[in-house]
Amino acid sequence: MNWKLKDYRFWCLSLALLANLALFAFPTRRQAGEVYNLTFVIDITRSMNAEDYRLDDQPVSRLAFVKHSLRELLGKLPCQSKIGLGVFTERRSTLLFEPVEVCSAYTELASSIDHLDWRMAWAADSRIAGGLLDAMQLLQERDSALIFVSDGQEAPPLNPRYRTDFSAIKGKLKGMIIGAGGLRAVAIPKFDRNGKRVGVYGPDDVPHRSSFGESDLNPEKIEGYDARNAPFGKQAAVGSEHLSALREGYLQQLALETGLQYRRLSDAAVLAEAVRMPEFALPAAVETDVRRYYAVLVLLLLLAIFI
Amino acid sequence: MSALAFETPWALAGLLLALLPLWRSGMQTAAYPWLAMLPPDPLSQAVMLLIRLVAMAAIAALVLGLSGMHLREQSVERIGHGAHIVMLLDRSSSMDNSFAGKAPSGSDDGRDAGGIPKRAQGSTQGAVAEESKAAAARRLLTEFVDHRDHDLIGIAEYSTSPLFVMPLTGNRAAIHAAIAATATPALAYTNISKGLAMALSFFDRQAVQGSRILLLVSDGAAAIDPDSEAALRILFKQQQVRLYWLFLRTDNSPGIFAQPDDPRDDNAQAMPELYLHRFFSSLRIPYQAYEAENPGAMQKAIADIDRLEQLPLHYREAIPKQDLSGLCYGLAAVLMALLLGAKLCEARMA
Repeated sequence: MNWKLKDYRFWCLSLALLANLALFAFPTRRQAGEVYNLTFVIDITRSMNAEDYRLDDQPVSRLAFVKHSLRELLGKLPCQSKIGLGVFTERRSTLLFEPVEVCSAYTELASSIDHLDWRMAWAADSRIAGGLLDAMQLLQERDSALIFVSDGQEAPPLNPRYRTDFSAIKGKLKGMIIGAGGLRAVAIPKFDRNGKRVGVYGPDDVPHRSSFGESDLNPEKIEGYDARNAPFGKQAAVGSEHLSALREGYLQQLALETGLQYRRLSDAAVLAEAVRMPEFALPAAVETDVRRYYAVLVLLLLLAIFI
Repeated sequence: MSALAFETPWALAGLLLALLPLWRSGMQTAAYPWLAMLPPDPLSQAVMLLIRLVAMAAIAALVLGLSGMHLREQSVERIGHGAHIVMLLDRSSSMDNSFAGKAPSGSDDGRDAGGIPKRAQGSTQGAVAEESKAAAARRLLTEFVDHRDHDLIGIAEYSTSPLFVMPLTGNRAAIHAAIAATATPALAYTNISKGLAMALSFFDRQAVQGSRILLLVSDGAAAIDPDSEAALRILFKQQQVRLYWLFLRTDNSPGIFAQPDDPRDDNAQAMPELYLHRFFSSLRIPYQAYEAENPGAMQKAIADIDRLEQLPLHYREAIPKQDLSGLCYGLAAVLMALLLGAKLCEARMA
C-alpha cells in the first residue's frame, strides 16, 4: 500500500476507532459527591401526641408532623445516603433497623416511618436525657450521625440533683437534637387501653415534681421537710406538667452538654434542610457515565471523513 | 407499550447525519478524462454501496448510543418457590441471655450480620464465647434470609408493646439492616398477643398467594387475655397463615411440651408456654412448634422450615432498566473497523 494513501481520512478513521476503544476502557469517571448516613431516634412518649402542628389546616400531633417531615426528607436525600430508624421512650432508645440506602429502599422506609406510633412505647416514662445518652451509646461506634427528635418534656419532671452525665461521651459522635412542638403549652390527649381517645390529661393525672431521692433545695427552705417521711416537704406539688410545650431551653442545654447541634422543627422543610449540614456529609465517589463525550468525539471524526 | 426508550430523545435528530454518506463518498477521487469510457463495473458499485451503508450504520449507531437507548424496567411473572414470611422477633430482655440463662460470656463471635460490636458486654477475652439467644437468632435468621431468594419478608418485634420494623419486602439489604438492629440491647417484657396482632396485620392488603408464614421466634410466652384470644382467633382465620413457633428454651425452664407435674400448676400463668402452644394448636391452622435448646437445634428447625416452605408461588420479578447504548457503541466500533479495513484495501490509480 502506498504511503500517500494514508491521508487524513485514514487518520480520522483510526482515531475514531481508538476513541471508541477508549470509551470501552474508561466508561465512567469517579466524581466526588456528598451523601449522608443518619440515624433518627424519635421520641414516642405521650407528650408527642399533643396537637400543636398543622398540616393542610388540620391540627396534627407532634409525632404525625415528625413523620411527615421524615417522609419529605426521604425524597430529598441524594442516593447512596442511608437512613436508620429508632425510637425512644422511658430511658431507653432502640434501633428498629440499621441505616439502609434511601433510593433502593424508599418504599420500605416510607412504610416504616408511617407505622411509627406512640403505642410502640414499651414503658410510659419520658426520661429524655437518659434516652439521649442511650441513643448516643448505641451509635457511638458507628459511622452514622444521630438525629434525636423530642419535645424535651421529661415526665415525671427531673430532679436537678440527679442529672445525666454526658461527659464521657461528649463530642464522640456527630448529631443533632430536633425540638418538636410549639412554644405554647397545650393539652396532651389521653387514650384508654383500647386506644380510644378519652379527653386530655388533667392536673391530677401526672406528677408535677420528682419525688425521687433527695431534693436539691436546702431542707430549711422546704416547708414541712422531714428527712425520712417527707424529703420534698408536705405540700402537694402543683404545676402544669399535664400541659406540654417544647422545652427548648432544656434541649439546648442537652445539646450543649452532649456536643450535638440543636434545631427547632418549625416547619416540615426544616428537617430536610437541617440534617444536610456539611458536618454530617460524607464524601462519596459517584461513578458518572462519561461515554457520551467519547461518542461525540468518535462521531465528529467519523463525519470528518465525508467532508 | 414499547419497552424501548431514550434518555435524551432530542439527540435522535442526529440521525439525519447518517444521510451524509449518501452524497459524499468519503473516498479519494482520481481524475479521469472521460467517465463514459469506463466499462460498467457492478462489483465496484456494490462495494461502494456497501461501504456507504456501513458508514451510515456506524453514524446511526453512535447517535443512538448518544441518545441513551435503553429498555425500560419490566417485570415478568415467574413461578418459583417462595413465601410471604413475617418474622415476629422477641425483644424481651431475656433474649440477651444465653441458652443457659446466663449473661453471655465473651463477645459474640462476630458472625452476626454486620458484626456490630455489642456494647455493655463483659469482655472476658479468651473464654469460649457463649452466644446470647438474640445473637444466635440473628445469625441464623440472616442465613435463612439469604437462602430464600424469592420470598417477601417482613419483620415485627415485640416486648411490652409491638414494634413495626419492616414491611413485607424483597429488599434484602433492608431486611438485613432490620435483623442486624436486634443487636441493640433488648427491651422489656413479653406481651405476645399484641405482637401477634401486629404481625398478622402485615398480611392485610396483600394478595393471598403462595404460602403466608408467621415465624415466631421467642424464648418465652405470656398468658393471653380472653379478649385478645378471641380477636386473634378471628385474625388467624382471616389471614390464612401457617404458623411456625421457634421456641428458644432456656435450660431448666418448662418447655412447650412439658406437662405439669402438679395439677395446681396447670394454668396459663404458671405455664404460659404450654398454654400458648395449646392455643396455637386449637386454631386449626397449619402450625408447627420447634423447641431449641441450643443454636444447633435452632439451625435444624430453620432448615426444616426452609425445606417445608417450598410451595410454588407466582411472583413478579422486576427486570431493571437495561442500557443499550453500550451495544450501540460496540456496533459502531465493529462497523468502523470494517471501514478501516476497506480503507486499507484502497488502491491508488496511478
